[in-house]
Amino acid sequence: MSAGQLSAEAVAGRAVEPGLQATGLTKSYGGVCAVNDASVTFHHGRVNALIGPNGSGKTTFFNCATGMIRPDSGQVTYRGRDITRWAPHRVAAAGIGRSFQLCRVFPRMTVLENVLVAARARSLRTLLGGAYDRELVDRARGWLARVGLDHVEALEARNLSYGQQKLLELAGVLMADPETILLDEPAGGVNPALIGRIGTLVRELNAEGKTFLIVEHNMEMVMSLSDHVVVFDRGRPIAEGPPWSVQADPRVLEAYLGV
Amino acid sequence: MRSASDPASLRAARWGLLAVAAALVFTFPVLAPNAYILSAGVVVANYAVLATSWNFMGGFTGYISLGHAAYFGLGAYGTGLLVTKADVPSFLALVLSGAIVAVLAVPIGIAALRVRGASFVIVSIALVLILLLVFQSWSSFTGGSNGLNVPRPFPDLLRPEHHLVFYYLFAGLLCLALLTWWAVDRSRFGMGLKAIREDEDKAQSLGVPTFLYKLVAFVVSATFTALGGGLYALWFGDLDPIFQFSILVGSYMVLMALLGGIRNLFGPLVGAVIVGSALEYFKLEFGDTQFHLVAAGLLLALVVLFMPDGVLPFIGDQLRRLGPGQSSIREVSAGELLEQNASRGDLPGQGDGVEGRAAPAPSEVTR
Ligand SMILES: Nc1ncnc2c1ncn2[C@@H]1O[C@H](COP(=O)(O)OP(=O)(O)O)[C@@H](O)[C@H]1O
Ligand SMILES: [Mg+2]
Repeated sequence: MSAGQLSAEAVAGRAVEPGLQATGLTKSYGGVCAVNDASVTFHHGRVNALIGPNGSGKTTFFNCATGMIRPDSGQVTYRGRDITRWAPHRVAAAGIGRSFQLCRVFPRMTVLENVLVAARARSLRTLLGGAYDRELVDRARGWLARVGLDHVEALEARNLSYGQQKLLELAGVLMADPETILLDEPAGGVNPALIGRIGTLVRELNAEGKTFLIVEHNMEMVMSLSDHVVVFDRGRPIAEGPPWSVQADPRVLEAYLGV
Repeated sequence: MRSASDPASLRAARWGLLAVAAALVFTFPVLAPNAYILSAGVVVANYAVLATSWNFMGGFTGYISLGHAAYFGLGAYGTGLLVTKADVPSFLALVLSGAIVAVLAVPIGIAALRVRGASFVIVSIALVLILLLVFQSWSSFTGGSNGLNVPRPFPDLLRPEHHLVFYYLFAGLLCLALLTWWAVDRSRFGMGLKAIREDEDKAQSLGVPTFLYKLVAFVVSATFTALGGGLYALWFGDLDPIFQFSILVGSYMVLMALLGGIRNLFGPLVGAVIVGSALEYFKLEFGDTQFHLVAAGLLLALVVLFMPDGVLPFIGDQLRRLGPGQSSIREVSAGELLEQNASRGDLPGQGDGVEGRAAPAPSEVTR
């Protein structure tokens, strides 16, 4: 992060607290360097956006950060804690939840069960306790109502439309009660009405204290939602800052237009 | 498919059916016309224990082990060797060998559960083949191909009484296994296991410590299988590595569980009754030919083609369809959903995802 951006934040009157942070993160597939020596800091408590052309390494970055794949080198920290190469369930326990670009739900489990799965069991007793305990079911229903899926809780998840599955995935992530939520293209393949609903949810949840890191191609959504935008090209950040400054950055236009 | 969302009458019917089935199981020895049929009943009960034990792994986590005969064999030989070589009382030997297999299953599980899908199947087969070779060639200890004679726990009993006692012992072990499966099924632990079956990486990203969960399920599965093997050793009294560590026995467990339905508590039991009775019948009618193998293969093909979820879910669907004025849960909910979507009008184009799915096509599973 450059001094210029820091002062921009200072002008806005808000201190920046680092959340998810990567230093020299690298992951290559054969000859392709998907993430290439990327160093980047996302702001805790804010809505961060990660944008960039297709194949610029955004999903791979998510996967390295959440333990789904092992980076070749580099370091990932979360609020100062080193989480490099942690297994995904430990990353989740540290307070980071995520969705997947090609939305993933448990197809043969009901909508309600899809959310219940994410309830964290903190002791052996709760682990062996009922999965359908009143308190849990109420909490799961609360999140389903929040994303607007409470009326289909008994359906198997595979019977939902793609857009509804995305909302269901979000409800599951929320059930795990993460403080930071990584969304990989939440608006991708979703109709405009649902995009609006997802945007509203993100705004509300951020106001309630959740941090977001959103990969998204829908520029309208990115510009209206985010406080801080990082632009990736060929596996590393090429620009960052508040949405209005990034939008005007010639390097960003170049990356997108391939000039 | 939670019972809570089923119509009340269906739930009552289910309990009624359960009571009748339990009564049949427990009066079978009285109804059995002769000792031969009774011994066939013991074999079927043994298969029911094995298939239900297998289902702790296969049903919950979706990891298909074709080599579960390994734990059947280890349980049987463990019990037999403890009785013959160390003079341990029969049933103490049974419990001890169950404990030994539980301990052995930890390192085996740690090694085998690193791989998924087809690789896991291969590893499970490799293990049973290795054990077969070891127990065959280490004949000074195991008796090798000459077999190991295990003295009967009740030497004074006549043959039919022996069968009778063991029928109830197997039934008791089966009850214990079913009760455990039921408890896991409704627990948070079980919910995590089922999530692993559906999408392991997704489950882990939601915070489920998948490796540990799989390992526990694996150990429980192996232990119950070993207890089934130990009881078999005490009942049959003669162990041969070729049978104890056979791919065939392991495949029967899989076939039975798949046939009955791996998502159902009673699926493997129902599958064991169907396949086990058929096998015993073929043996009686046609002797020791390979005919029963062909029949088992055909059965598997039929199930996979026409009842991919197994017999119990198939029957359940048929009942719901036939029931007066009761359409399937899915149809009701899907209908409701459509209605609500229409009235809310806030999900344009979203209804299409639901409409055609009242009767799910098999292709949807691959989504
Ligand atoms: N599993 C993989 N195997 C090989 N190459 C991959 C794999 N995943 C991603 N890549 C490559 O890495 C690059 C970055 O991909 P990705 O992270 O999906 O980009 P984005 O999400 O920004 O579209 C692409 O060139 C892609 O082809
Ligand atoms: Mg991507």
